[in-house]
Amino acid sequence: MSSRGQARILIGGGILAFIVCVAVLAPWLAPHNPNDQDLLQMLAPPAWSPDGDWSHPLGTDNLGRDVLSRLIYGARVAAIVGTIVPIGTCLLGSSIAIVAGYYGGYVDKTLSRIVDIWMSFPAVVLSLVLMVGLSPGLRSVILATVLVDWTRFCRITRGAILGLMKLEYISAARITGASHVSIMLRDLVPGVLPLIITLLCVEIGVAVVVESILSFVGVSVEPHIPTWGVMIADGLASVFQAPWCLVFPMLAVILTVMAANMMGDGLRIRFDARIVDRTRAPA
Amino acid sequence: MTDEAGDRIPLLRAAGLTVRMGDIEVLRDIDFSLRRGDILGIIGESGAGKSMIGRVIADQLPDGFSVTSGMLRFGALDLIGMPPKDHRRLLGREIAFIPQEPMMALNPSMTIGSHFEEHLAHLGHTPSTMRRKTIEALSDVRIAAPEHVYDQYPFQLSGGMCQRVLIALAFISNPDLVIADEPTASLDVTSQGHIIGLLRRMQQKHGTAVLFITHQLALAGQICTEVAVLYAGEVVERGATKAVFTAPQHPYTIALKAAAPLLDGEWTPLASLRGHMPGLKEYRTLDGCRFAPRCATASDACRQATVPLRQKSDHLARCLYDDAEARVEFPEGAARASLGQSKGELLRLDSVSKTFFRSGWFSRKPGVNALRNVSLEIAAGEFVGIVGESGSGKSTLGRLAMGLEDATNGTILLDGKPLGRSEDEWERRIAAIQLVFQDPRAALNPRRRVVDLATQAIQPRMMRADARRARAETLLRSTGLPTDMLDKVSAEMSGGQRQRVSIARALCNAPRLLIADEVTSGLDVSVQAQILNLLLNIRKEYGIALMMISHDLAVVRYLCSRVVVMWKGEIVETGLTEEVFRNPQHRYTRELISAIPPDDMNQPWLPLLEFAKAS
Amino acid sequence: MDAGKFLAGAGLRIATIAGQLLVVSIVIFVVLRLIPTDPLAMMIPANATRDEAESIRAAFGFNRPIYEQYLMWLGHALQGDLGNGIQAREPVTRLIKTALPLTLELAFLGLLTGVVLGALLGILTFRARGTRLERVGEAVASLAQSIPEFLWGIAFVLIFGLALSLLPFIGPMNSAYIVPRQTGFLIIDTLLAGRLDAFADHLKHMIMPVAALAMMKIAMVMRVLRSSLVEVYLDEYVNAARLRGVSETAILFRHALRNAAIPTVTLIGVQAAQTFGGTLLIEAIYSLPGLGNLMIVAIRTNDLPLIQGICLTYCAIVLLVNSLVDLSYFWLNPRLRRQ
Repeated sequence: MSSRGQARILIGGGILAFIVCVAVLAPWLAPHNPNDQDLLQMLAPPAWSPDGDWSHPLGTDNLGRDVLSRLIYGARVAAIVGTIVPIGTCLLGSSIAIVAGYYGGYVDKTLSRIVDIWMSFPAVVLSLVLMVGLSPGLRSVILATVLVDWTRFCRITRGAILGLMKLEYISAARITGASHVSIMLRDLVPGVLPLIITLLCVEIGVAVVVESILSFVGVSVEPHIPTWGVMIADGLASVFQAPWCLVFPMLAVILTVMAANMMGDGLRIRFDARIVDRTRAPA
Repeated sequence: MTDEAGDRIPLLRAAGLTVRMGDIEVLRDIDFSLRRGDILGIIGESGAGKSMIGRVIADQLPDGFSVTSGMLRFGALDLIGMPPKDHRRLLGREIAFIPQEPMMALNPSMTIGSHFEEHLAHLGHTPSTMRRKTIEALSDVRIAAPEHVYDQYPFQLSGGMCQRVLIALAFISNPDLVIADEPTASLDVTSQGHIIGLLRRMQQKHGTAVLFITHQLALAGQICTEVAVLYAGEVVERGATKAVFTAPQHPYTIALKAAAPLLDGEWTPLASLRGHMPGLKEYRTLDGCRFAPRCATASDACRQATVPLRQKSDHLARCLYDDAEARVEFPEGAARASLGQSKGELLRLDSVSKTFFRSGWFSRKPGVNALRNVSLEIAAGEFVGIVGESGSGKSTLGRLAMGLEDATNGTILLDGKPLGRSEDEWERRIAAIQLVFQDPRAALNPRRRVVDLATQAIQPRMMRADARRARAETLLRSTGLPTDMLDKVSAEMSGGQRQRVSIARALCNAPRLLIADEVTSGLDVSVQAQILNLLLNIRKEYGIALMMISHDLAVVRYLCSRVVVMWKGEIVETGLTEEVFRNPQHRYTRELISAIPPDDMNQPWLPLLEFAKAS
Repeated sequence: MDAGKFLAGAGLRIATIAGQLLVVSIVIFVVLRLIPTDPLAMMIPANATRDEAESIRAAFGFNRPIYEQYLMWLGHALQGDLGNGIQAREPVTRLIKTALPLTLELAFLGLLTGVVLGALLGILTFRARGTRLERVGEAVASLAQSIPEFLWGIAFVLIFGLALSLLPFIGPMNSAYIVPRQTGFLIIDTLLAGRLDAFADHLKHMIMPVAALAMMKIAMVMRVLRSSLVEVYLDEYVNAARLRGVSETAILFRHALRNAAIPTVTLIGVQAAQTFGGTLLIEAIYSLPGLGNLMIVAIRTNDLPLIQGICLTYCAIVLLVNSLVDLSYFWLNPRLRRQ
């Protein structure tokens, strides 16, 4: 049964690892400085089209900047956002969920109500408002995304914790003298870990999308940093003349999200399979 | 076969019926026959394959399972060979089913009435007559306010009521055959009596043949004309009920009888079968008699080739030996908890009450009164049984004593000193009292190994790994588990083994009181006997007191010298077990005792008599 | 259900929503005051003296402590006055009122399309379980779900708008059509004016934005409905119905679907918030003058009163939709109805 979900994990994980490598090696991989404007070669088409040439493999944008190089450097923001945001949302959301689910009662009610109110903001609207409040920059993007998305983690994890709390092994641990912290760490966290890891994967894709949305609206990182979202927004302006400026960053975003979802799906199947195998074991 | 010699031809007949899943013979060479108007009992523990028989009859085998040989005839129809479409047309008309879990078998978003409307429309009734017909059917199964029930949803009815509704649904088409698959397994004992009585009355009124699938020997003894005992997919013994029950010939049937605790008569130690029912995958390795690994009688001949059903005195059994009964082994040294061990009071509950609140944001509305003014004391080394049906508050009582719930009123004293909520008092409490939970699968963290589970209680004290392992080994030995289980996780164990680990964990710090909350209710009879005998041994070894919470009066009688009967959150009767059971004083205790089918099938069972009188 | 109880319940619900909106307004207010740049910078002439600048500031109340500003704002808001836009110099309420219908129409059509198509596909793939069709459906769904709404929007523009020139993608309707504004909803106004040509043109303009908004929802509804059907089919009452001889079609439509719909409805509730978020970018891409476009303009110009007003509107809508979803539980689940 070990093959279940294995392919998805490998393909998804492989693509994500590739993106991280590209991000790390960007200065060596990119043929041009991403912000260099080649005003003689504005909106040059990709190399394989009739008028293209190999100095700009994926063409240039409306300021004559090399699309491939911007794409490669854009992976840096994607990689940073896609790493830190999931960790941040996970830590914030899951710890609140565990506390709420474990203590129950008024603690749970209060925290759940906060989550409800938080979730009445459409995510896009809330992150835009937060970005208006914070100054533009990578730190703000990460902060805003974490502050918007922790609720998703919190809600789902809390549901799982409540399910676990019904199982008697939590009470059993309590009467063997385990402390609250020990129960949370030894009995609750391992129980929801598969779920959290799956959510974590999915969140990688969400983070990259949110960043591109913020860039698209124009409230993301500083203007001189290339990101896929900025490229999409710029590309939309010249969509009639140069659709490639738009297509490549779009594909990059889609590929990342798909890889993240794929890995998440694979892990979910993998964990489910293990749970199923366990419950099926000798009766 | 003798039963075919009679004037009535069998309505349902199976011969050599074999069901396979891949190379595994799930059901092997099943033979039985059921005549019109008779009740055939299929008796077996969980995993015996008894529900699979119903699935064959319904043509609802799970994916991957198929009938590979043998025949199954319903009247003149060949149920195996007939087209699925025609087969399905029989269901709900000529063949009806009464399911195991009545609460789950009705659609939660449909009213009772609409279930009937659907079924009647299917049977070809016109809408104008449906309501009248349904009301008739509902009053037929003794539902007091059928008009009212008609518009209710399943969740508004009790389990017993749902089962009545399902019985009405089953009989409304006046079927030839009804298959009742453990119809009372999920019901309380008092409603079990009513349901069985009702089923029997309906069966007699309509002259229906019933295939009655159950794990309760005593129940089958009361209502079945014939029985077939199933073990690991094989019929091991079959014949007229009386013949099989008075002189069982197969070691498994004998052991099953010897493993069931009795409600009256002399106290005798229970014979527990070793091991457990094999799982499907283990069938591959069982070439000969599938019972051989657990059998004291088995010889090499048993293990090598399949054993056919053989004629023994007045019925059939699948055993090579004729003197099996003499060879069944009984445990040594199991002795009943003796009386008069009041070495001073250990735990005392002083008019304790518990109310569960339904809390909103600003208000706390009182909800269920789980316990009302309960006072109880347990002496050191005493075994006390708490009996009652679901909702009686018996489990709440246990959780309260353990400190998993807080009492709304009243005090709990340990060694004469009240137990409060401070950290010190919690330590004092858990050092003296431990609780074993009902469902060991839920009570054992699936990710921890046995060695960690058994010694969970010493985990807070940083202990050396080898010292901890040694402690775990000792605990495993006292609970009768092999020490090579130390590194297994709960999924790799059987239900009985899990419950032993759970008990081992509770014993880790040598508590003085063990609270056992329905610890055997999820186990088969043969495994239950193992656990009950284990508890008796523990008393000898550790000298602890036991608070045995159970719905099963016979279990409590086997273990406990004193019994407390609970009803709707109150103690209605308490006293020495023998006296209470022999001469119950409270109306409810009497009802409870009379609802249990007597172990001796020749003794009348009250619920059946009542129904017979009424009709 | 008892009418009095129902009214009491509805009253409580509205009070809860009001309370939540109050909290939301405080959150927005505080967040927006973190703003590092001066929202009035553009309004104050470059040559203004310090005193002049201060007086403009005072006119908007920006010189007072934050809680006073909030109470002032709240006082006005309770009278239905959300202040004036700094840039547009028009009452915020009027701006929102003009923009809102288009956003509602877009979101409603998107959600409706998503639910209807998703449910159909969910049932279809469920019936085809175990076949190749199911695996294909699953693969397409997981692709559809991986692509965020705004990228679907752009992709549709590229494919159907530019490459194939099949559909229009700028504005809600060809500007040649002029229809008197009555309800504000173009889909209704064109019909009220009896202009079927305008109605058709409007619908044509809405196809791509609605489709872009619906793609993810179709995939999600399909997957959730299918998996809850699978789960419901494991329930004992499905088996019991089968043993009574009920046909498979009747089992699916009469017994299973209604019970399986509950998780789907929950999903739609959660998705409602996301749908309104999605309209924001879709409006920007398709130049639809709705709330989202208004919001983006407000953000680009740091128009605080307008941002505040729009945010509150979004939240109010989401809370209302969630209440409607809760209400539908009562219809689906008789257990709740009887409590």
